[in-house]
Amino acid sequence: MTSMATNISPMAGARRGLNVGHILLTALSIICALLWFFPLYWALVTSFRHDDETVKNFGLLPENPTLDGYLYVIQHSSLPIWYLNSTIVAVSVTIIAVFMAACAGYAISQLHFPGRRLLWWIILASFMVPAQALIVNHFIIIAGVKLLNTHAGTILPMLITPVTVIVYKQFFDSLPREFREAAVMDGANPFQLLFRVYLPMNWGVTTALAIITFIGAWNAFLWPFLAAQTERMMTVTVGITAVQDAFGVFYGRLMAGAVLAGLPVALAYIIFQKRVTQAITLSAGIKG
Amino acid sequence: MSKYRTSEVLVAAVLVAPFVAIYGWMFIYPTIQMVQLSFTNAPLIGAGVWVGLTNYTRMFADKIFGAAVWNTAYFVLLTVVPGTAVALGIALMVSRLKGWLQSVILSLFFLPFVLPVTVVYLIWDWLLNVQFGILQQVITPIVGRPINVWRTIPWFMPFAALITIWWTNGFSILLFLAGLRNIPKELYEAAALDGGTRWQVFSRITWPLIWPVTVLCLTIQLILQLKIFDQVYLFAVGGRTQATMVLVQYIYEQAFQKNSGGYASAIAVALFVIVVAFSILQFQLLRIRGNRQ
Amino acid sequence: MAHVELKDVSKRYGPVEVISHLSLSVEEGSFTALLGPSGCGKSTLLRMIAGLEEITDGRCFIAGTDVTDMPPAKRGAAMVFQNYALYPHLTVRQNIAFSLSLAHASKQVQDEKVGAVSRMLQLDQLLDRRPAQLSGGQRQRVAIGRALVRDPKVFLFDEPLSNLDAALRSQMRIELARLHQQVKTTMIYVTHDQVEAMTLADKIVVLDKGVISQQGTPLELYNRPANKFVASFIGSPAMNFFAATASGQAGNTVSVALPGGRTAEVTSRGGKLPANGTVDVGVRPEHLRLGAAGAAGSAFDGKINIVEQLGNSTLAYVDTPAGLLITEGEGNLQINPGDAVSITVDSSHAHLFGPDEQVI
Repeated sequence: MTSMATNISPMAGARRGLNVGHILLTALSIICALLWFFPLYWALVTSFRHDDETVKNFGLLPENPTLDGYLYVIQHSSLPIWYLNSTIVAVSVTIIAVFMAACAGYAISQLHFPGRRLLWWIILASFMVPAQALIVNHFIIIAGVKLLNTHAGTILPMLITPVTVIVYKQFFDSLPREFREAAVMDGANPFQLLFRVYLPMNWGVTTALAIITFIGAWNAFLWPFLAAQTERMMTVTVGITAVQDAFGVFYGRLMAGAVLAGLPVALAYIIFQKRVTQAITLSAGIKG
Repeated sequence: MSKYRTSEVLVAAVLVAPFVAIYGWMFIYPTIQMVQLSFTNAPLIGAGVWVGLTNYTRMFADKIFGAAVWNTAYFVLLTVVPGTAVALGIALMVSRLKGWLQSVILSLFFLPFVLPVTVVYLIWDWLLNVQFGILQQVITPIVGRPINVWRTIPWFMPFAALITIWWTNGFSILLFLAGLRNIPKELYEAAALDGGTRWQVFSRITWPLIWPVTVLCLTIQLILQLKIFDQVYLFAVGGRTQATMVLVQYIYEQAFQKNSGGYASAIAVALFVIVVAFSILQFQLLRIRGNRQ
Repeated sequence: MAHVELKDVSKRYGPVEVISHLSLSVEEGSFTALLGPSGCGKSTLLRMIAGLEEITDGRCFIAGTDVTDMPPAKRGAAMVFQNYALYPHLTVRQNIAFSLSLAHASKQVQDEKVGAVSRMLQLDQLLDRRPAQLSGGQRQRVAIGRALVRDPKVFLFDEPLSNLDAALRSQMRIELARLHQQVKTTMIYVTHDQVEAMTLADKIVVLDKGVISQQGTPLELYNRPANKFVASFIGSPAMNFFAATASGQAGNTVSVALPGGRTAEVTSRGGKLPANGTVDVGVRPEHLRLGAAGAAGSAFDGKINIVEQLGNSTLAYVDTPAGLLITEGEGNLQINPGDAVSITVDSSHAHLFGPDEQVI
């Protein structure tokens, strides 16, 4: 295939019109990408500017870069606590939701038990029901068990991630049955089959789902915004805008806060790019 | 003889127990409670009295509810088709590139998608700041004066839509890229040998083969954008929120600001019905596609 | 004493009966091939012995123990799968040791056993590789190693060579034969390839539609097929069949009137001829001899249609009054399409089949 492609390109290159078009299109792509990225770049640049400079310098680089914005945000706002809260919430949601989904997806895919079809229908149903429609009742339930303004209260409703179960079920469905049979002959029980064969066989699926769940949980706004209303219990995502006077009207500080709030998920994406892509195509049911 | 093996059922029970507990508590129970509550006049916290269909009759007469439905629909209209078209365009551009250039360009387009909504809000609020926002440098020459887009009603939804497209488009781009990658290379090679022009290749090969992915993107976006809340809420805070009210925002307002859990639940049921109806439509579309393949 | 024994077993999926009241004894230390076309139930039978399929009716014994209701791992049977089913995330060493590790064997025991097995299969250099880094033949050996390490009472092979290319397949065949000589454990081997069955097995069980069609040594099946199914399934090119009428009988020698008007004598196996004398005659290609047209004692005159020169033998497809017959003669036979020839039947190697397709 590859050799075919390389054989074709000199042929196409023989038509000079195509070559110019190719360069133009590539240049256009680069320009569009840079424009698309510009808002993020501008936020980054602003975060390194001095306060007086933010309102008068429209240059692409800060005149004399400073970390004042960052230092102020870290020292004078609750951002470090919010960071901790976000980490606790996002990591807990990721671990619990992915573990739960792997177990349930495995049982539904591989084991015969009464209620299996019913469970599958509940998952498909929860896939359709908008979480936003349930905020009132989530609030009532969490308030009822006195978990408002606790991490547990923030975490619980966020554990409903049906796509994770669906992806796991389809993954287990797709494995050749010989692996199961070989493991059974080797003496594996159903738990060992799951944790020593099926999951380790393809950590990629689990990693992909974990990263996308983490990003989703870190970014969640509506529910954490309702569930954690004291400043000390807020997540970063909510805190940076909910607390109006957190940074004052200083754009350098605001952008520094924004950069810090987005940094973990941006890094997660940059490091695990392939897995994020895989998770998205898996969850949409397209083979990438 | 029983259909099930006892040991297997026990294992399954252990494995699905956490799932059943959480979904029962956090999905089935609140869903039932939502419907139940919509027939009462309950406040946010506390018991209410059964009022029959009162909340629903009130809802259909409620001007703000009507506005919320309209605004939601308007937002959907502004985001779904334009967003999908932009995503397809970007995917076509990116798919032509190779190697590291492709992954760098793709990351630039995709990065906004992974950011929290509040970060997106802060960045765009700054970019569009009426006094110091850099985008006013673009707006002023066109309109003649700087515009406070979040306080100017006709500008609000188009900009909210624009930012939403910028923010969430990475998802559709990835789906389109995966779809484009699934088109066999041989088809393009054959078309090149047949001397097809760029446009012919797109309209005769790429477009028909990418159409199923387009439908998928459209329906996913449709369902996602019906549930719009975060951006609209954040940009509208402190302004005339009623004019730009969307459905989820109205649920939020009724429950958490007007303390009427019953009425909020009725609106939630309405949202629920709309989203489920579109989801079933999506499901059917995907099934039709699945059957055809 | 039988080492693996199936007593009157049946397997049904709902109303569909895949295996029907089948009984089978496999001797200790034997290499038994279950042979048949796809869908004959041979794999199901093997999987029933392994415990991967439930037995609907009947009992299964391994080394005298009734294992019918035992889980697969407790039966003392090890299996090699068609696609090997090596765990892709484990190294060769871990793959082989997996069952030991599940049984919580000590590290020392694991190392010892893996060492012994890998030396025997010449895998010692590959222990730290993963399956994806191995060739087809090496994967095959790892799959065998994984079975060996469990020290099973019986090895089960489910078409283990069908994923390999032709050259590798014959090499692995020799390795399997050598392995059997070395460990002398009972082996049951499922295949649809009669060459594999003939070369490897000391006993072949031919299955057809869920019942045993015939069992015996490879040469017994080849020389004395019990029915038309076995006769046509074993041997390549396949046996020729043509309809004829039995016209007389003296002891075991039956005279048959052939299509085209001549007669031939065929040695029967003492079965009873049907009343109207209608029989099918089966003759293997190497038992038909070409000669000059009209030669004395020949069965048919015919015309050569196609000639296939295989070097060590010559196949000729001849149009005769009995239809197209295949003959196999010595290599480099100088014949050409269109030649007029005669065909002589080797009467002691021809078979008679009745209307019920059983041998007469």
